[in-house]
This record gives sequence, structure tokens and C-alpha cells, in this order.
Amino acid sequence: MCAQVSQIVPPPRTRTNPEHSALETRRLSMRFGNRLVLDDINLTVRQGEFLCVVGPSGCGKTTLLRLLAGLLRSSSGELLAAGAAVAGPSRDRAMVFQDYGRALLPWRSVWANVALAYEARGGSRAERRERAFALLARMGLAEVGEYFPGQLSGGMQQRVQIARALAQDPRVLLMDEPFGAHDAMTRQHLQDAIARLGGERRITTVFITHDLEEAIYLGDRVVALAANPGRVLETLEVGLPRPRDQLGTREAPLFLKHRHRLFELLLPGTRPHE
Amino acid sequence: MNRALSICRGALLPILLVGLWEAGARTGVLPPGTLSSPAAIGAASLEALRDGSLLWGTIETFETALCGLAIGSIIGVIIGAPLGLSPMVEAVVGPTLDAIRPVPSMALLPLALLIYGFGVRMEIMVVAFACTWPVLIVTVSAVRAIDRRLLEVARVLELPWLLSMGRIVLPAALARIGVGVRVAAGIALVVAVTTEIVLNPRGLGYQMIVASQSLRPDLMWAELIWLGLVGLAFDLVLRAIEGRWLARYAAVPVS
Repeated sequence: MCAQVSQIVPPPRTRTNPEHSALETRRLSMRFGNRLVLDDINLTVRQGEFLCVVGPSGCGKTTLLRLLAGLLRSSSGELLAAGAAVAGPSRDRAMVFQDYGRALLPWRSVWANVALAYEARGGSRAERRERAFALLARMGLAEVGEYFPGQLSGGMQQRVQIARALAQDPRVLLMDEPFGAHDAMTRQHLQDAIARLGGERRITTVFITHDLEEAIYLGDRVVALAANPGRVLETLEVGLPRPRDQLGTREAPLFLKHRHRLFELLLPGTRPHE
Repeated sequence: MNRALSICRGALLPILLVGLWEAGARTGVLPPGTLSSPAAIGAASLEALRDGSLLWGTIETFETALCGLAIGSIIGVIIGAPLGLSPMVEAVVGPTLDAIRPVPSMALLPLALLIYGFGVRMEIMVVAFACTWPVLIVTVSAVRAIDRRLLEVARVLELPWLLSMGRIVLPAALARIGVGVRVAAGIALVVAVTTEIVLNPRGLGYQMIVASQSLRPDLMWAELIWLGLVGLAFDLVLRAIEGRWLARYAAVPVS
């Protein structure tokens, strides 16, 4: 069985050119009408890194991610994916939306939702089903493969969406506050699931969140954005060892130092009054 | 128990009316030339059932109603989906459709007759025309109401156009399109029978007008009641299909 599965799961991709960064924005700006939402964003996402973007609401985090996905076109500036200009959405850049309830197809079973990513590539239904189940097993969802999304908890639905994103075998995973709608405990489970996945696959990830600690816990680097208009304030190298764990990592001096710095940057005036 | 009781209560009025009708017909209060007695209608029904004319007429009428419904629905969905997806298409095609739509389907009869002559095809054409509109209108609004997020999922997965229509757009709109098809089904039956009554020598409609013109009100009533029952059964079947096959497409995502 194991041998069979390893045949089905494709080998890691080698077509990426290591000289190019996974994603690069050059003087990227975005206006909606008169409102400048993103101003002069210069970002480089390295191959295989986990980049977190934090910022207050309204700083254009989601807009930035939608630009990276190709779902939006920037008003000015350049966007390169692996060295090539981005013209629109691509299978190479998978998107995990925050609102999993709207992004999953309620009439398709869990495995068929995941297998949607295989359909454009052809292959028999049985083959797609087997590949979907192999992926679901890695996400700890094999038992619910035949269920419908509406029958699962929110955390499980979000994992289904992540599985579907992985099924499209992307070079870059774009995640838009994927755990924002979950309770604290579910969020920690999901964080660990995604961190484990990063350990297995080293898939380049851009992760949007408003949770500063989540950003430090997950990221190799953290980009802090300011609002009105959205612009890069600072980029932190996290430098915490992996694998990380919810207790030890969050108590590490370096973690607390980063947390302190991000708080100062993004939430000035949160010190107790004299 | 409760169910049986409510059925009994619901049946009370019809039984009373039929009883009054029978009494009126026997005492000569009701005109026998138009309102035959229920007993005579029952006898005529049995006769028409036994010689197969009711059944044959039903088959003929449903043949055209179903073919017309199918063709009209397919055309309605094929035109409606792009209209719902793209405001551009809507702007270009919409006004033309709005100009054609008010044409009463019955006004197409002379044209259909010119093209196909008497028979199945002309009737199907008129039924299909009538059925296209409700399906088209419902499809446009159903597709327009699809969550944009699902369309973005299709884009990010780079699903080819046909796949994203077949896997995302149509399933997401299917439950509401089903309602449109059910509305169109009622119209299909009306248009088919009307076409048969006024022009086309086949089916239940034709049998009714023949019975009426040969002064057989009992037979005409028998056919009318039969038609009502068959129409009811048709609607029930469509509802059952909707409940069985389309219900899950209407499932509201739980979040």
C-alpha cells in the first residue's frame, strides 16, 4: 500500500530555477478608485521560505495576496513569479482563502473537492480518488474523505482547503488569514499542521495574518505592513530553530524579542498608562 | 392517524361538490349539454381508458411537452449562463432577448406551421420557445448569484472554461435552475394542449376539442379531469426528482 501511494504522489518538482526568487514585487502599487491601498511594495519571497505578512486591518494584506495570486492586477509596478511576469492566476500559485465555507464546493464530497485540482490534468476517476485520499491521509482527514464539507468542523474544512491547494502541486502557497476564523485551540492545531507540512515539503509560502505571534511562530521572515496606504515597515528574520513547538518556541527569548518589536511597530501606545 | 384525518377533511368539500353536481344533473337543474353528470363522466372515462384513447393521447401530448421542455431548458441554460457570468454579454445580448421575449408563444403557431406543417415538430418548436424563457431568466439570476469565491477557485486551479462551467458554475446554479425547469414544465403542458386544441390534430387537446364538437361533454369532461390528474402527477414527479437529485446542490455551506 505504501509503495503504491509513493508512486501516486509526484516527486518534488525540480523545474524551479534556484537563481530566481519565488516571487518578487517591484514598486507594486494598487489603487481602488482614488484610494491608494498599497504603496510602492518591494518584496522578495525566497525559494522555499515561509514568509508571514502582518499588519493592522485595512493595510492591504489581502489585496497584496490577491495581487500575488494574479486575481487582481496592480495599478503600477511589477510582479515576477520565478523570474517571469505574472499575467493572471496560475496553478503554480495556490490560494487558501480565509472563508473556507465559501471556497469549498458544498455539493462535492471532501475527496472530490481535493480531486478538483486534478481534473484539469485528466486521468481516471479512480486515480484521482486515490491521489486525493493519499493527500487527505497526510492531512489527517482520510476518515472523512466521503463526507461533505458541511458535515465537518471549521478546522477540518480549512484543512480540506489546504489539501486541495497542495493537490494542485503549486510552487507557492498563498494563505489569506487561513486560521483567522478559528478558536484558539483549533488555530494551534492548524498552525502545527502547516508547520509540519512545511518541514516535509519546503514549499514556498506567503502567509497573511493579523496575529503577530502566529506570524513569528510560523515564519522564516515576518513582513510588517503599515496601513493607509499599505506599505512595508520592516522585515524581520525570525531565526528560531525548527521544529518549533507551541510551548517552548513561544517562550524563547528570541520569540519574545520579535513579539516586542512587532508590537512596537504595529500597536504603538499599548503600554499601560502611567 | 392525524394524516388520515386531515386527508378526510380535505376530501370533504370535493365529495360534497360532486354529490351536489350529480344531484343537480339528475334533477335537470344543470344543463346536460355542458355539465354532464359525474356518473356519465365516469362511464366515459372508463370507456376512453379501455379503448386506449386516453393513454395514447397522453403519450402524444407528453412526447411533445417533454421534448419541447428539454430543448427549451437546454437553450435557456446555454444562453442564460454566459449572460449571468458576464455583464458584457448581458449588455450585448440582453436587449435583443428582451425584444423577443414578449412574443406570445401561441403567435408562433402560424410560423411553426409554415416551417414544419402539422405534426410533432411544429408543436415541439412552440413548446420549446415557451419553455426557454423561464429557464433562461432563472439561469441568469442563479449564475449571477454564484459566490465569486467559487469562480476564483476555478481561476486559481486554472480549470479550462468547459470544466469550470461543468464542475462549478452549473452545479452551483443547478438547484435554482431546477425550479425554473419545473415552472417551464407547467407551461410546456399548457402550450402543448393549447396547440393541439387550436391547430394540431394529435394528443389530448385534440381529443378534447373533437369530443366537444361532436357534442360529447361527458367525454370532454373525462379528458379534462384526466389531464388535470396527469399534470399533477407530472409536477409530483419533477418535485421528487428535484428533491432526490438537486437538493444537495442547494446545500448552504456550513461555516
